[in-house]
Amino acid sequence: MNAVKTIFLKELMVEFRSKQMINSYFILSLMIITSFRFAFSVIDFSLTQLASPILWITFFFGGMFSLSPIYKREIEQGTREGLLLAPISPSSIYLGKFLANLLVISCLELFTLLIFFVFFPVDTPDLLALLTLVAIGTIGIVALGNIISAISSNLAQSEVMLPVLLVPVLLFTVIMSSVSATSNVFAGAHLLDVMQEIKFILAFDVVFLAVGYLLIDYILED
Amino acid sequence: MSEKILVAKDITKSFGRFQVLNGINLTIKRGDRYILFGSNGAGKTTLVKILSTILPADSGELTLFGKKIERRSKDIKAMIGFMSHEPYLYNELSARENLNFYASLYSVKDKKERVESLLKEVGLYHRSHDKIGSFSRGMKQRLSLARAILHAPDIIFLDEPYAGLDIRAQEILNDLIIRLNQKGKTFFFITHDIGKGFEIAKRSGVLSKGRIVYEVEGGEKKAFSEKYREIIREETG
Repeated sequence: MNAVKTIFLKELMVEFRSKQMINSYFILSLMIITSFRFAFSVIDFSLTQLASPILWITFFFGGMFSLSPIYKREIEQGTREGLLLAPISPSSIYLGKFLANLLVISCLELFTLLIFFVFFPVDTPDLLALLTLVAIGTIGIVALGNIISAISSNLAQSEVMLPVLLVPVLLFTVIMSSVSATSNVFAGAHLLDVMQEIKFILAFDVVFLAVGYLLIDYILED
Repeated sequence: MSEKILVAKDITKSFGRFQVLNGINLTIKRGDRYILFGSNGAGKTTLVKILSTILPADSGELTLFGKKIERRSKDIKAMIGFMSHEPYLYNELSARENLNFYASLYSVKDKKERVESLLKEVGLYHRSHDKIGSFSRGMKQRLSLARAILHAPDIIFLDEPYAGLDIRAQEILNDLIIRLNQKGKTFFFITHDIGKGFEIAKRSGVLSKGRIVYEVEGGEKKAFSEKYREIIREETG
């Protein structure tokens, strides 16, 4: 646990000083939300139906592009081998990075949510249900994003490879279920009404975390 | 007779069809300063990465303190220090924060005192709170040496440590290495530069075509340089 905490604190310090993830997430999410707002301003649309996909597209792309450099910057700075030489388990590196990125991205998502409600003033009768869905969806995005970021950091053109690897898996698991459940919440459903989707997303969160925890050893060292 | 710290027997490594190491046999004793020379592409970095457990060998046997080296062994990693031409340091962190980070990873006891004493030892105490992004290459290399010896390893590997250093920084680095060696630390270097490396070598070797083809203890720089050139000429045809 000491190694996980050490990596976690280092990641937060490096991120808050470089602001690499924060800047890319903030700019991208703002661009997506405003683009959709202005695109839909010229046509009639149902706010309740469109709000959920737009929100999750924002979270998905924001997360994907901000998670992209987290392993690559270790290679670029030449620090990856320094980590691998240390007498710690590679899974500690994965967990430390996962927790730090989860914290940063969750904070960014809360901020994005406020901007989203300004541009898309949708009624949300059950805020707890919405926040629960955002939280568990984010765990899936960050867990899988971390592992795919580690895989793609070893590949040429990693910026292109990350979405190619991430989109098919995340879209058909966490994102589609989150979009469906969030649509229901915007339409008036409560936490208990979307429990089926929550269980489904949580199952994928567990799978992604387990895959990352078990495979990171081979991904980082080979 | 000095204790054998590292023994490599018939180490081989290839990348695809390219055979990089072709049967390396090497013994390093406690207190050694062994410098391995070789031309670019001779396989020096591959060898030092295998010896320091970063890379696995294809075949052969590697033992450290009588224990067979396993690549993912935490015990073995704790006994090894590694300094590369890449400093393995975070530009966003200060010198002190970088060392504190690695000290935590290595579970160094009396972390604060150890970090302070090493910062003094490498002459960076007065810059310890500055982010290392503002450091010169020589300063980063000195801090990198502090990082490599932070956990008091028994053997320290150096991969082209002089790369990009000016003459003064090279002298400071060599002085540090000699001082640490006098305190009992064992060093294994690789470099292609005889001028910088040979002056502090206790033992020297030449890597050519994936094998250590020549070894000498002490000896004269001029004679060694001639032999080295002869080997390189044969290698390149």
